[in-house]
Amino acid sequence: MNALDILQLCKHYPGGAYPAVDNISLSLPDGEILALVGPSGCGKTTTLRLVAGLERPDNGEIRINGEVVASNHLFVPPEKRGVGMVFQEHALFPHLTAAGNVAFGLQKESRSKSQEKVRAILSLVGLENLAERYPHELSGGERQRVALARALAPEPVLLLMDEPFSSLDADLRLEMREQVRGILKAMRATAVFVTHDQEEALYMGDRLAVFQRGHLEQVGAPEEIFHASQTRFVAEFMGNSDFLPGQACAAGIRTEIGVLPQPLGLPEGTPVEIALRADDVDFEPDTQGNAVIVERLFRGAHNVYRLKLDSGQRLHVMHPHIQITQAGTRARAFINAGHSLAVFHNGRAVSGEIRPK
Amino acid sequence: MGRPCNNESMQIFTSQRPRTAISPRLLAAAGLVALFVAIPFGYIIIRATTGGMEVWVRLLVSDRLRDLLLNTLILMTVVTTGALLTGVGMAWLTERTDLPGRNIFRWLLALPLVIPAYIGAIVHLALLRSRGGMIPQALASIFGEAVPTPSPLGLWGAAFILTLFTYPYVYLLSGAAFRNMHASMEEAARSFGRNSWQTFWQVTLPALRPGLAAGALLVALDTLAEYGTVALLRYETFSSAIFAQLYGRFDRSSAAVLSGVLVALAVLILWAEIRVHGRARFTQMDSGWRPAALLPLGKWKWAAFLLVLGVSSASLLVPVSVLTFWSVSALLDPQALAAVFRSGSQGFGNFAWNSLWSSSLAALLAVALSIPVALLAVRYPGHLSRFISRFCQVGYALPGVVIALSLTALGSQYLPFMYGTPLMVIMAYVLRHMPQAVRASQAALERLSPTLEEAARTLGRSSLQTLFQVTIPLVLPGLLAGGALVFLTSLKELPATLLLRPAGFDTLAVRVWVWADEGFYAQAAPAALLLVLVSAIPLSFLLRREQIFNERS
Amino acid sequence: MFTATPSIRNTLFVVFVLSMVLAACAPSAQPASFADEVSGRLVIYSGRSEPLIQPVIDAFRAQYPNVEVLLKSGSNSQMANALIEEKANPQADLFITTEIFTIQAMAKEGVLQSYRPAATDRLPAEALGNDNLWVGLTRRARVIMYNTDLVSPEEAPQSIFDLTDPKWNGQIAAAGSTNGGMQAQVAVLEKIIGAEKTEAWLRGLIANNVTFFGGHTDVRKAVGAGEFKIGLVNHYYYYLQAAEGSPVGIVFPDQAEGEVGLISNLTGAGVVNGTKNPTAAGAFIDFLLSEVGQKLFAEANYEYPVLPGVALHPDVQPLDGFRLVNINLRDATLELDAVFTIIEKAGLP
Repeated sequence: MNALDILQLCKHYPGGAYPAVDNISLSLPDGEILALVGPSGCGKTTTLRLVAGLERPDNGEIRINGEVVASNHLFVPPEKRGVGMVFQEHALFPHLTAAGNVAFGLQKESRSKSQEKVRAILSLVGLENLAERYPHELSGGERQRVALARALAPEPVLLLMDEPFSSLDADLRLEMREQVRGILKAMRATAVFVTHDQEEALYMGDRLAVFQRGHLEQVGAPEEIFHASQTRFVAEFMGNSDFLPGQACAAGIRTEIGVLPQPLGLPEGTPVEIALRADDVDFEPDTQGNAVIVERLFRGAHNVYRLKLDSGQRLHVMHPHIQITQAGTRARAFINAGHSLAVFHNGRAVSGEIRPK
Repeated sequence: MGRPCNNESMQIFTSQRPRTAISPRLLAAAGLVALFVAIPFGYIIIRATTGGMEVWVRLLVSDRLRDLLLNTLILMTVVTTGALLTGVGMAWLTERTDLPGRNIFRWLLALPLVIPAYIGAIVHLALLRSRGGMIPQALASIFGEAVPTPSPLGLWGAAFILTLFTYPYVYLLSGAAFRNMHASMEEAARSFGRNSWQTFWQVTLPALRPGLAAGALLVALDTLAEYGTVALLRYETFSSAIFAQLYGRFDRSSAAVLSGVLVALAVLILWAEIRVHGRARFTQMDSGWRPAALLPLGKWKWAAFLLVLGVSSASLLVPVSVLTFWSVSALLDPQALAAVFRSGSQGFGNFAWNSLWSSSLAALLAVALSIPVALLAVRYPGHLSRFISRFCQVGYALPGVVIALSLTALGSQYLPFMYGTPLMVIMAYVLRHMPQAVRASQAALERLSPTLEEAARTLGRSSLQTLFQVTIPLVLPGLLAGGALVFLTSLKELPATLLLRPAGFDTLAVRVWVWADEGFYAQAAPAALLLVLVSAIPLSFLLRREQIFNERS
Repeated sequence: MFTATPSIRNTLFVVFVLSMVLAACAPSAQPASFADEVSGRLVIYSGRSEPLIQPVIDAFRAQYPNVEVLLKSGSNSQMANALIEEKANPQADLFITTEIFTIQAMAKEGVLQSYRPAATDRLPAEALGNDNLWVGLTRRARVIMYNTDLVSPEEAPQSIFDLTDPKWNGQIAAAGSTNGGMQAQVAVLEKIIGAEKTEAWLRGLIANNVTFFGGHTDVRKAVGAGEFKIGLVNHYYYYLQAAEGSPVGIVFPDQAEGEVGLISNLTGAGVVNGTKNPTAAGAFIDFLLSEVGQKLFAEANYEYPVLPGVALHPDVQPLDGFRLVNINLRDATLELDAVFTIIEKAGLP
């Protein structure tokens, strides 16, 4: 059984230009972590809040563990859904200690059982020594773990996390997501995780759901999302790609920097865009070249060059070599991928295998 | 990876996330409160419409009414301006400069809030009236001839007295805002090439704006409803016209029509306050707060000191000294002493106790009633919720006697079990002082992140449990601040108390009136002094809180 | 009606029969003989301020120990407005005012019920309301007080019409249109000299920059302090101010031949329609009109008792020596609207 099923979910705020959540359907198997990712205002947080019961859907159905919690005729309030939630700002109750916060969700347990559970879960998150501290006496990372412990303590069927790391420093964020993923996996928790950070989504999610403007663009495993983006938006959002225009031709795709031998099942001359990451392109200095180097960005182990093609199109190129090419140098850019590239027509992926040279 | 950070986080925290459905239970609760608050308006409408056309004609063609309306508007403008200047000036001097004795003045300047304006007026009249006053007489005996002194009477006298006893509203609000302001804000302005004067006008003052608007609103509404004090100081306002209809003619229809004019003015003022307030949100940054550096006054130090000393003398030290002097002379005179302690069927302790419990209960009720209204306004911002919240504040502009008559009409007919009990007095206090409670609760709730409530919901609490286990405990200090203010103003309330109290139920304010009205100031003084002392308790709480209905600062 | 146990009821019946018999034999039977039988709560709304009514209540309680008296004092008009709004569910048993207008208005509004006091036959006709709806308690003369430091007795105005003399421009204080004493003065003048001349007199006062206060206490304090030379007040304000040691003098005006004579006002009391304790209310009124009650008013506040033969406060000049206006005050103050029309037309603040 799926821990979560969402069917044709819709939510439109009055005054909103487009629906916050527009006909979304997805499922989450037991024990998996689903990352909802997308830019600001894409509907990922609204989806999470609809699942939590903090918002009422306009249409559609939500099932948790097979049980309908929201439909057109039914709305189960948040306290009856058995979900746990970790909030962005942690939302720890300032008038309660760490232990008090964790115990807050255990009101149905006996006192001794509750205390035992609080101790157990706090030691799981490594805070057994700070149980009597108040939130303001804890560091950001400690607060984060209390919030997680509080949400996990009632053993929710589903854990919801709304950008839980966004209020942490960059270093701490990396450390915390490792710890949190470890804890969730150790508890075999099913979780929905909202983030606007694609890297965090790729790290945390067993599966990813990419949102844009209330639409669900693509759902899949991280690799699938990254390597086989189904829409231009997903490729752009997840991959930091440049998009090089071209036209379909018999040999493949004709572009400004040469023909990519990846034939498509499209009529000759159809305009397409190729998603190029910095390691898919290369260049060599050439006074007769098709591009000029605008800027060199030092990235430690490698350099990233920003190129401007004669058409004005910009490309990023990653050079692993120590050799340095100065900005202003003229160069010849060319595609050097060694694998099929994602190609889009009208924003949607077009299939095509690269032909070996 | 360099995506721009989204600002959804911000939206959630400032409760700007749009909501579709208002909780029906919350709406019903707030609606009930609004219905309760509507009692005086219902009364006004019924009385005004049963008066017949000739009442309207008689009233509306009268030149006198136009003059009185003008008088009221002038007084309101002068007092509000005076209170703003005094309040902000005093706050700036005590919070931002190296004024000598600023820590003591901080207290002294807030304390006049506990002195009812009519008591202040009596004291200043006794001191200043042009020929019989203590000061002119003392001057005359020193110089051997009459020395002209400023008169406490008329427009300027009334404006002077009302300013002295209302500026603390502005002072408290702007003082808190000065304290909470980030030093970095002003420093940023300076770094953009503004001098300190420009910085004050372009950065500091706009940041104080919400607090100033709230303070000015209270002062303006207070002045609108004012009758006793201005009558004492011989300045006629629109309220005088209402009283003229009620006194002698017993014409409640005309009084209602005229009260309607006051309501309309109050609505205008509330609307203006929204305008001034604007859409800006002054969200406090929690991290890295540090107080701004104190401005050295240099050669102005002692001039400023004298100015502040003058204000606190006129508004606090002198009235309290005079009251103490009168009290002592009353206590030394056995006949006066007996008079002080004799009151209907009760003694001194009894009416002090009546004051305390009725005002406390009123404060408790007002705060409780304000919660659904404030919750609706803060959690579900929209036209309806804003309307209800504002509606609950209009009553502040109605003279106490109009509120009392509406409760008399309602109570004697439909609530006979309650009528003739102190509960009616308490109801009047609650009706009149709702704005203070609503504002305080709203300000407190605005500072509370709604995610805390949502967290409680996802942890298995119903919305009602959440209210009592999370929301109220967390905003309690803010609620108490509102309650303290209601307590303070209820303690002073006179006209409604006089009319609605059951026979034999006296309060401190009533005792002051009983004696002062006949000109026996010495006999009135002990109760007045006790009134001031009792009021100082909730005020000290307010001062320690440092942020009474400090809206969105 | 007070509730009573059967035994009390029997006793009451006996008392009732006895009293009928006694009443038949001796019309002057004192209600005091029932004192112990009058009981229950008596709620009094009083426009007469507490310091002036509390001593009377204390004396009443000494005579009727079984009555619990609850007092609610305020201004005449406040209490009157409350009585009107409470008509459906009356709270008070007795209403006391300090001037005649309010009680006349209350009689008109149906707020009062009739009670014929024991002393009826000894009272002047004008001190009994129509249908016995109210009774007068004391008389208050409208006098002129002046500051003796600023005005010599020879200079002091001898007629209320002298107050419009430009000589006194800006030097006079009086009570305004909401004051019952002033209202009664206007009502009486209207009956004697007509509406036009009365209005002219009021306009004259206004033109002479008379300062109008809400009440007479402010007037007496201001004249006592020398802020104004002249005050138009009820007579006892002069005595109150003199008792404070101020340099003040008094004129009982309009005594010369052809002048209108001294105008006075009546304080009054009435039983509230629907009272739950008419027995106690009646007993209280009778007490107010008894020698003891009348003497208390005279002593506490220098007022003139309505009951003939009661001693005045030693400082007070008896009214016998003065010529009073030849008019029935009760009838003069029946037409409220006419008086307010004059007041409003003249623009009295």
